[in-house]
Amino acid sequence: MNLGTRAVLYTVRKWKKTLLVFCLLLAITTLVLSGLAIADAQEKQAEEVRGTTGASFTVSRNTATGGWSSDGGGSYSTQEYLTTDRMESIAAINGIEGYNASIRTILCLSDRQGQWLEQMEPTGHAIVDCQFYSYGCINSKYHSLFLSGAMVMCEGKTIDSSVKNGIVISKDIADKHDLKVGDTIQAVNNPLSDDKTMNLEIVGLFEVVADKTDERNNYNESSYYEYTNNAFVSEAAMKKLLENYADVGYASADFFVTDPERLESIIHEVQKIHTIDWNNFLITANDEVYQNISNALSDTGTLITTLIAVITAVSMVLIILILSMSVRGRKRETGILLAAGISKPTVVLQYVLETLLIAAAAFPLAYLSSRQAAGILGTLFGKTAENVVVTSQHFTLTATVGSVLLIASVLVSCIPVMRLKPKTILSQME
Amino acid sequence: MNIMEIQNVQYAYDGKKKVLKGINTQMEQGKMYAILGPSGCGKTTLLSLLGGLDSPTSGQILYQGEDIAKTGLADHRRSHVAFIFQSYNLIDYLTPMENVALTSKLPPLPILEQLGLTAEEAKRNVLKLSGGQQQRVAIARALASDAQVILADEPTGNLDEDTAAEITAILKESAHKSGKCVVIVTHSNELAKEADVILQLRRGELQTLSVSDLEETASQKRRASQKNQR
Repeated sequence: MNLGTRAVLYTVRKWKKTLLVFCLLLAITTLVLSGLAIADAQEKQAEEVRGTTGASFTVSRNTATGGWSSDGGGSYSTQEYLTTDRMESIAAINGIEGYNASIRTILCLSDRQGQWLEQMEPTGHAIVDCQFYSYGCINSKYHSLFLSGAMVMCEGKTIDSSVKNGIVISKDIADKHDLKVGDTIQAVNNPLSDDKTMNLEIVGLFEVVADKTDERNNYNESSYYEYTNNAFVSEAAMKKLLENYADVGYASADFFVTDPERLESIIHEVQKIHTIDWNNFLITANDEVYQNISNALSDTGTLITTLIAVITAVSMVLIILILSMSVRGRKRETGILLAAGISKPTVVLQYVLETLLIAAAAFPLAYLSSRQAAGILGTLFGKTAENVVVTSQHFTLTATVGSVLLIASVLVSCIPVMRLKPKTILSQME
Repeated sequence: MNIMEIQNVQYAYDGKKKVLKGINTQMEQGKMYAILGPSGCGKTTLLSLLGGLDSPTSGQILYQGEDIAKTGLADHRRSHVAFIFQSYNLIDYLTPMENVALTSKLPPLPILEQLGLTAEEAKRNVLKLSGGQQQRVAIARALASDAQVILADEPTGNLDEDTAAEITAILKESAHKSGKCVVIVTHSNELAKEADVILQLRRGELQTLSVSDLEETASQKRRASQKNQR
């Protein structure tokens, strides 16, 4: 009779012992699979948080290290500005998904017939009512007003480098003047000077979400800062509109990273760009929100990982104890098999096979039970049941590691008996 | 023909208490040997050494002229010897047929039937059989194996007189008809009398007794016992 047949017969006929080990393995595997699913849901949540909170760094002129000058308008820093080349060299670093810098001015807007557009709450003075607080943007979706949630795009697209002569205005202004995406309007910096007038295509419309009392968004009631009277213009167009004025560059630019976790290393990379004199510029990390959420998530993640480790360790100790008791209880059988000339490795292999036979039934069943249990357990850690999913990868991992641990447990359990000579085992039996 | 030979075998527990002091003997195929001796004299130890369950402190055990320590004890146990124990030592989750099949490729039922078990009994759990039936299963397991040497430790110790006599007859038949070398360790003079060779282990030494020696020793013991009772 070979060891396989003996193993099957033992497993079937000693069904009470089999059932005990089976239930234990089922419970442990269910818990471990659920734990892995919760850990994955946790990781996914952390990834989502990284994606939604985002993180950025701001590169700005260091006025403390530059010189100062003064004229009739007052004193001003002579520190150098951020040029397009400098910003592009920073944006080329791996891990930066985009950047924005803005030129701010007040543009007067009119329709194609030259009729001035009017602010939402006009004062009655045409020359004032046509003034719109405008940003010449490299990429308007990274503008703080959009990132803070004060505004949202409701139609069309945002301003980026692919838009040459485009403008984004508020939906309220568009509706007031019967304008829509695709229409063209005119803009001029100062209509009383020889500043250039340009045709700009409305590429998108935004809605104001911020409440007038929203201090967070610094919303006030002066007409310039009334968000509906804001406009976003493509950078190239803005430069043409301001061609009568010196193009010095940007005082600061915001760079956005794909993974907030890498923010520090990316800043480190940026500081290595040797074409920029970092004595003249400051880098400020903007990841406070991410750090706060990340720390909370990290704590939960550690708790889950610790729980899985503790469950596994305690379970293994329990399994080793039960298997040790079982092997000790089978000393007589071991002695008989050894006396019959069956080698020690073959006897151990039979015990290993018996345990693996039980595991072969317990593991798949645990896969099914954990699919139910994981969701319920996940809610204890603040996860929604739908997000806690036990996958086939979890099962493969658990089954593989579980089998290895079980084999190790049986081997450890067998050591005390297998170290004895067959005669000692048999004399102890007598 | 000699099948087993014990050459100057010594054995000491923990290297101190010497129970076997240089034993020499030879055993032949087709004969039944009985080893007698008081409790603790080392009978079972000698049987364990013959069966490769343990190794002597010094000396050699030869099977067909080869030292079993060199050919491998596990191999010796697997191929050359079969054990029968006082407490039967059957595997409790196997039926009699499966216990016999443990060491044999032969169909187990004919051997079990030959030893008096019915087909129905042969398929029962071994623990549901009587002591005599369990010992028959143990003997069947030994006989079904290819082993040429059967080593039996008090095989009738737990059995009533009639059953013991039947088991003794079976073992004797195994030696005489099947050509096996049967070595029995026993306290029973009745069983020893059935053996072809009676060996007595006393103070670590082995000596051969005749049946008359055995009866003389027995009567001396009886007289001493009666004297003590008076």
